[in-house]
Amino acid sequence: MGLPCGTKNYTYAEDMAIMRTKTHWALLIALLVLLFTAPLYWGNYWLGVANLIGITAIAAIGLSILLGYCGQLSIGHAGFIAVGAYTAAILTNVLELPFLVGLICAGFMAGFIGLIFGIPSLRVKGFYLAIATIAAQFIIIWVINHMEITGGFIGIAVPYASIGGFVFDSEASQFYLIMVIVVMCTFFAKNLMRTRVGRAFVAIRDNDLAAEVMGINLFFYKLLAFFIGCFFAGIAGSLLAHWIGFMNTEQFSLMESILYIGMIIIGGLGTTLGPILGVIFIRLLQQGMMFVAPTIEAAIPALPAGFATGIAPMLFGLIIVLFLVLEPRGLAHRWILFKAAYRLWPFSY
Amino acid sequence: MKGKRLLMVVGVLFLALTVAALPFMGACAPEPTPTPTPTPTPEPTPIPPAAQPLKYGMSICVTGVAAEKGSPMARGKLDAIEYINRELGGVNGHPIQAVWYDNGYDAAKAATIVKKLMDDGALFFTTNSSKMMSVSMEIANRAGFPGIASFSSPVCTNPPKHIYAQMPDYGDDWAAFAGYYMENIWKGTGKPKMAMHLLNNPTGYGSLDAATCLADELGIEIVATEEHTPTTISEMESMTRIKAANPDVLFISSTPAPTAVVIKNAYELGMYPGIVIGCAHASYTKALVDIAGAGIVEGVYGVFPTVNWGDDVPGMAKMEEYCKKLSLRYHGNMDYITSWAEALIGAEILRLALENCGYDVLAKGDATAWECVEKNGIQKLDYDVLGLHGPAKYTPGDNRLDKSVRVFVVKDGVITPVSDWIEAVRIPYENYPDKFPWAVAK
Repeated sequence: MGLPCGTKNYTYAEDMAIMRTKTHWALLIALLVLLFTAPLYWGNYWLGVANLIGITAIAAIGLSILLGYCGQLSIGHAGFIAVGAYTAAILTNVLELPFLVGLICAGFMAGFIGLIFGIPSLRVKGFYLAIATIAAQFIIIWVINHMEITGGFIGIAVPYASIGGFVFDSEASQFYLIMVIVVMCTFFAKNLMRTRVGRAFVAIRDNDLAAEVMGINLFFYKLLAFFIGCFFAGIAGSLLAHWIGFMNTEQFSLMESILYIGMIIIGGLGTTLGPILGVIFIRLLQQGMMFVAPTIEAAIPALPAGFATGIAPMLFGLIIVLFLVLEPRGLAHRWILFKAAYRLWPFSY
Repeated sequence: MKGKRLLMVVGVLFLALTVAALPFMGACAPEPTPTPTPTPTPEPTPIPPAAQPLKYGMSICVTGVAAEKGSPMARGKLDAIEYINRELGGVNGHPIQAVWYDNGYDAAKAATIVKKLMDDGALFFTTNSSKMMSVSMEIANRAGFPGIASFSSPVCTNPPKHIYAQMPDYGDDWAAFAGYYMENIWKGTGKPKMAMHLLNNPTGYGSLDAATCLADELGIEIVATEEHTPTTISEMESMTRIKAANPDVLFISSTPAPTAVVIKNAYELGMYPGIVIGCAHASYTKALVDIAGAGIVEGVYGVFPTVNWGDDVPGMAKMEEYCKKLSLRYHGNMDYITSWAEALIGAEILRLALENCGYDVLAKGDATAWECVEKNGIQKLDYDVLGLHGPAKYTPGDNRLDKSVRVFVVKDGVITPVSDWIEAVRIPYENYPDKFPWAVAK
């Protein structure tokens, strides 16, 4: 890891610390202050976008642990998010249990379902595992659609999240709830990679045969990666359900699962920062696209009917293609380059 | 190295230019008939330059998998608003300002758009699909922000809160068709046997919910229920099972392409002609006839909540004029009529709200304004929609504004009405809390 000139480490703990300089601490505190004062200067719309980004980031961090660190490709992530969302919905709406019970159970239920669909990972990998996890997407959605308790094809309402009598009934309060969980998940993911488990994940990703020869139990660690990745998806699903207030399976499409893969690739595989940057990039790009057609139609009324509607999806695709051409290693890599350049500035050589 | 970089830059530029040019190529595609006819430009009713606008919020899918419905609906609304502002002088002198965003038929975008519309000070919002409304509705209900869904499923209006349906839903389609079938088509003895083929989403299962509530009451026996996906290319297997159940009538609630597949398979299995086939409104458009072929769908019944193009109703002439002038490619598209009618209803709601509360209240664009629009606009609505569909009128406890549909049949390849407006009676889903927990107010 690149550090500013003159930074010395005298103990192992110092060498392993995430925050290693006063500047690191200052920047972290500034970021947290900026984040948690956002409701003071953002309207409901931007808070809503931030909430959506936060929820998506939790699920993407889970997928990053599974794919970016352990190398297990899953194209059924939206299905696991659906498991979490419906678990929370049933527990809090039908059984009227507290939000926190629903949140934790949503994580565990999604993790458990993830374990089941992770079993093939011992025998198959790469594209073959991708196909196996696509099955998860379809099976989960089919089961939810055909159960009465889930509301079937119609869906199910979900109450506001509440803790000990405090109801998160405003966009700002939901923002704080979601961001606290995002910070906790990020902290967990960052530290997981510095543990024995995290190193085992990376070893499996780099060469599973070599990892097994070194004594790493592939079956255990691959399933553990599925459990953790899907646990995060379940937590994200629970928060999504309480935030939107009504769930049906059309919100968890295969397209959404593919988009999650896109987010972590654009952000940068194998980093903790990558999925967060990828989520911010894709979600903001999506938000931008919803303005494109109305803006073009308003600016140039003489355009033929339907012209402007063709622009948005093409622009969306074009930006992603250009991004992957110009920065294939992801936004996290670009951030590392920026930091390196900043440290040397103004004497870059 | 330099050459490689140059090659990459040229490649990227070429890709960018190609993609940017694609919409122009699409726009060069031949326009459908009829050709535009020059119409005399009407004398516009002037809006005072300083007149303040009334914000009409819209969340529409002009891109994504449902764009073939969303695009004509967006144009229909925007053209109608153009007509209202230009020729009617807006609403009592205030121009309507369309505040609209493309949700791309994507749930995540729809959830944020409804918040954006609230922040923008829209007085109410509309969506063109039940899926987009189901994502937006709880956010809007929580804030008291009134919304209207053009196409809706029963969950949007049950239990009644702040969301309204412009037209009857897919459950109402089944009820209207079943009632018409029992009165006018069924000549046998005992209970007729009905099979249902449903799209695997609320469009399909909304009809099944209605059948669950009303089949016994109407004296119909449901003998088979099958489902299909929006992208199905063959339903031979499911239709063989339906054939084995020997139904008298088949009801399909889906979109045009899969409905065409089901009907074609019924034809190939020798079931049709021989049984009666009825369709819910999501599929019963000219597209169905075009995809399946006029010979195959001849005699197929369907339910639809608006008039046809060219029908002799007061609102038709202006709509045709504006469609030909501004959005010719959507002439003949039934979804255009639906959304043109929705904009007329929206204008009427704003007129009522304006007269009852005054502009100062509406100008706030906040919860006070939304309450005014809902209580003094939507809930006082009693409007004939210039004949484009059944009258839009609020009935306490029933958030469907228009409750009328007509039954049509394909005759000589043309969708032709065979009934007058049929009132779709509200289905009491809340009486079956075990089956329809979503219909019960908590």
